[in-house]
Amino acid sequence: MSNLNARLALRSLKRDLRAADVRALFVALMLAVAASTMIAFFLDRLDRGLERQASQMLGGDVVLEQRDPFSEDLRTQLEDAGFTLSDQVDLVSMISRGDRFQPASLKAVDDIYPHYGTSMVDLGEGTEQVASGPPAGEAWADPRLAQLIDIEIGDSVQVGQTELTISGIIEREADQSGGFGSFNPRLMLNTADLEATGLIQEGSRVEFEILAAGPPQALDAVQGLLNELRRDGVEVSDVRVDQPQLGNALERAESYLGLAGLAAVLLAGVAVAMSTRRYVERHLDTAALLRCFGASQHQLVVIFSIQLLGLALVASLLGAILGLAGQAALLWLLASFLPMTLPPPGIMPLGLGVLTAFAVLIGFAGPTLLRIKRVSALKVLRRELDPLPPAAWLVVSVASLVFGGLLWLYSGSLPLAMALLVGGAALLGVLWGISMLLLNGVLRGVQALSGKGPWSQALRLGGRQLGRRRQAGLGQLMAFSVTFFAMAMIVLVRGDLLNTWQDQLPDDTPNYFAINIQPSERDDFENVVSPRAEAQSELYPMVRGRVISINDQDPREAVRPDARGDNSLRRELNLTWQAEVPEGNEIVAGEWFADDEGADEQQGWMNEVDATAQAVPVPISVEDGLAERLGLTLGDQITFAVGSDEITTEITSLRSLNWDSFRPNFFVIFPPEVLESFGHSYITAFFLPEEEQSLINQLVRDFPGVSLLNVEAILGQVRDVLTQVTRAVELVLILVLLAGVSVLYAALTASRPVRAHESGLLRVFGAGETMISRIQGAEFALLGLASGLLGAALAELATAVLYLYLLDLAPRVHPELWLALPIGGALLIGVIGHGLSRSLRKQAPAASLGLLGEA
Amino acid sequence: MLHAERLTKSVTSGERTLTILHDLSLSVAAGESVAILGKSGAGKSTLLGLLAGLDTPTDGELNLFGHPLSRLDEDGRASLRAGRVGFVFQNFQLLPTLSALENVLLPLELSPRAGETDTAAQWLTRVGLGERQGHLPKQLSGGEQQRVAIARAFVSDPELVFADEPTGNLDPDTGAQIIDLLFELNHQAGTTLILVTHDHALARRCDRCLRLIDGRLDAFDPHTLASDTLESEEAKT
Repeated sequence: MSNLNARLALRSLKRDLRAADVRALFVALMLAVAASTMIAFFLDRLDRGLERQASQMLGGDVVLEQRDPFSEDLRTQLEDAGFTLSDQVDLVSMISRGDRFQPASLKAVDDIYPHYGTSMVDLGEGTEQVASGPPAGEAWADPRLAQLIDIEIGDSVQVGQTELTISGIIEREADQSGGFGSFNPRLMLNTADLEATGLIQEGSRVEFEILAAGPPQALDAVQGLLNELRRDGVEVSDVRVDQPQLGNALERAESYLGLAGLAAVLLAGVAVAMSTRRYVERHLDTAALLRCFGASQHQLVVIFSIQLLGLALVASLLGAILGLAGQAALLWLLASFLPMTLPPPGIMPLGLGVLTAFAVLIGFAGPTLLRIKRVSALKVLRRELDPLPPAAWLVVSVASLVFGGLLWLYSGSLPLAMALLVGGAALLGVLWGISMLLLNGVLRGVQALSGKGPWSQALRLGGRQLGRRRQAGLGQLMAFSVTFFAMAMIVLVRGDLLNTWQDQLPDDTPNYFAINIQPSERDDFENVVSPRAEAQSELYPMVRGRVISINDQDPREAVRPDARGDNSLRRELNLTWQAEVPEGNEIVAGEWFADDEGADEQQGWMNEVDATAQAVPVPISVEDGLAERLGLTLGDQITFAVGSDEITTEITSLRSLNWDSFRPNFFVIFPPEVLESFGHSYITAFFLPEEEQSLINQLVRDFPGVSLLNVEAILGQVRDVLTQVTRAVELVLILVLLAGVSVLYAALTASRPVRAHESGLLRVFGAGETMISRIQGAEFALLGLASGLLGAALAELATAVLYLYLLDLAPRVHPELWLALPIGGALLIGVIGHGLSRSLRKQAPAASLGLLGEA
Repeated sequence: MLHAERLTKSVTSGERTLTILHDLSLSVAAGESVAILGKSGAGKSTLLGLLAGLDTPTDGELNLFGHPLSRLDEDGRASLRAGRVGFVFQNFQLLPTLSALENVLLPLELSPRAGETDTAAQWLTRVGLGERQGHLPKQLSGGEQQRVAIARAFVSDPELVFADEPTGNLDPDTGAQIIDLLFELNHQAGTTLILVTHDHALARRCDRCLRLIDGRLDAFDPHTLASDTLESEEAKT
């Protein structure tokens, strides 16, 4: 029997493909799948790709770092878990060539280095990709070091007690993240030569690292071990936790893409609901006839379900292909900043897409489809015997539940899904009420038109027609306003995202950092740079200090257990002092240093710092991220070792700041004067336009001790990311707009027979084609106007919520929305609706009237 | 074949109850052809709906093929009809998206005889549309559509065929052809035919005529009256 049902169902479906509602249904489902698979494919590959890139930047999937060599026992445990290990040793040492000395940051790597990626090294024949470190007996210097001590390939340098031959100039290290954490120039050597240098001795500043590479299962297996190591004070970097900062841009873009995908799915759902309604109405006669010929209710449900599921299957396959193509296009747009070897698309997103199609179908079409089951066989004799449409609350509830499920599936967060769902349901109720009021208002306004012209008459008549079908009109009004709302939101969010990104990195974002400016050089440096550079940041004094105790405890004991290996506790921090809150910083807790108030107290700790026996702690401001990581709050006391002195401080304010700002940023800021007596240098950042590049040569010549870091490349990379993400966002936007159009099409198709009947009646009563055309145009335009108003209100509300809670942007009012949506809505619905009804107006009245019956 | 006992059908609208059929009894034997005449609104279609099990009576008993319909639910009544009852409607009721052949196949698809395309094609040939199997209903004239509907009614070799005003939507000449065809096929197949009409000429072709007046059935000899007299007599009542 089921074979037979399937045959019957598919045969009718084949014929049915010509019907407008089936096409609308098909397109809507296809778009839902295309949108969801495209975004799922893309995000899946991007996430996996980023993890790979993170591994490359970290140098492994797990990186362990500590002051002492690691035990064999630990190595065995890691290897047993499935990791390949590579050893690395970092230290700072003086290197020399002849009479030239230079402190350098030494990095000793073994023969396994690097686990991932390649280094860019000039081995004498131009820069090339090299997947190894220098062999024993040789070393690679970075260009800065080569310049500072004037070495070329083939020269020898003295490193500790041994001599190494420079065999390459290293432009970029395989595992170097974009930052510039080390201010000393780099020398890379082989671990085999370390012993000969004699630099590794008791008390010397050496960091031992294990770089471990392995599959995700290995990473899972050692989580317990890693936590233990963290508590023991080992700095543990885990690729899943310590992803490189590609900036907030990409994170926001991911949120945006997810959001846009859901908007497309929601719109497609609305389209599915509307076209199913028409589909069911059109098939009631068929169902009655089948009942008449002996089909059971169950059989009817099976037949029509098979039809719709068959439709959904084909639509989801096509949608998935579109989605695959779409994600390929997205990746192509983003190709230049993504890792070269992006993992291939997985099967998961495909399943997700098909699941989405069926969920949308069941959720948005299910209750409506069940109406077919209730059709009476008697309808073959008495046409008016239509089963009642399902209750609106049922349709909305089922659709909401399914959409909530999809939200859960996509967001992975049940509370978020629930909140959105409950909020959405409440919104829908309010929307229904407001729609009713709005529709009444608009209709009343139109009826009050006193003009005698043809347009006033058309508006009055169109308004009256709309008023007569208030329920259907309300449904359409809601569908259109949700559509406009979703479209507007996606456009708005895109615009504000782009603006925020552009504001974040204006054209004059600093492209050079100058560090190590001595106090004696400060004024001269400023005088040379200021006239030629733009957007120069202040010159921040910088003093190196080490945290030696927190609240009178060993720092490792005082902080959160998982932060014991934190970098800030193991290395010297750059401390600065400022009288004002630096640009781009914001106080989020406590208060900035008082100007005059407490001058006596200030005098108190000033004197005591000088006297070294300090009792009153110095107020400091700490970056909120660091405070959170270490578990520090206002009032906590931190003691720093600066030079040979100890300074006890108290956290009096926490600051938030943007690390992507390309300006000098500090974890800890002191009030003025406290640190001035200690040895310090200055740091600044500035933007140097292309035509002023000659200044750099002058600076290198006049201020040989000052290090200049060109961050143009990093800046360019971030800019590229923004540009490409923007393009990706635009591609997705198009998809959402298409989904919106599919709703319009479905809604207008659904109301076609009723309109046909009306225009037929009007023709019978003597209205000309022009008049009917105007009346229909007016009716659609009124509907569009009201929908636009409502859509604008919704979009304004929703974007504010989104900005605050999801995208982390400042909310703002969008006046242009309140103009564009109602007018655009009136025009769009007016023109599309009017156009789609053209064939109806051309029909003879008899045909139009018959259409209602013969559907 | 079919036995109705004291059938009553009332509908309630608000507080008013309207009785359409009143204590109506009827027996139809196998192979018999019965015409039910009545003016518009007399309840002919309601009666047809009851007899075919498409609707349930307010009161009374109805036996179809020996099964008491009152004990069957809607699905039970539907499965009783499957393959055993054929229908011809005034407005043809062809599915617009199916071709002529597919429309004829429809009742077979719902019976164990699914897929007998040849049978369906033969029936189309018998009604004179052998060459137009692939045409959609809208590509056929009214008369041709009704021929398809007749082929569909007979294709499953039903024991009983209901016809509801089969010529109501056709011009007199086409209507006459359709009637000839209907009776010819009915005769050949030996099917029981229950026909509802207000067309006197059509009723005259049946073995027995019944007239529905004021919700009751009277036996009636169509040969005694001309069609127009029937109408005027009905008008008086």
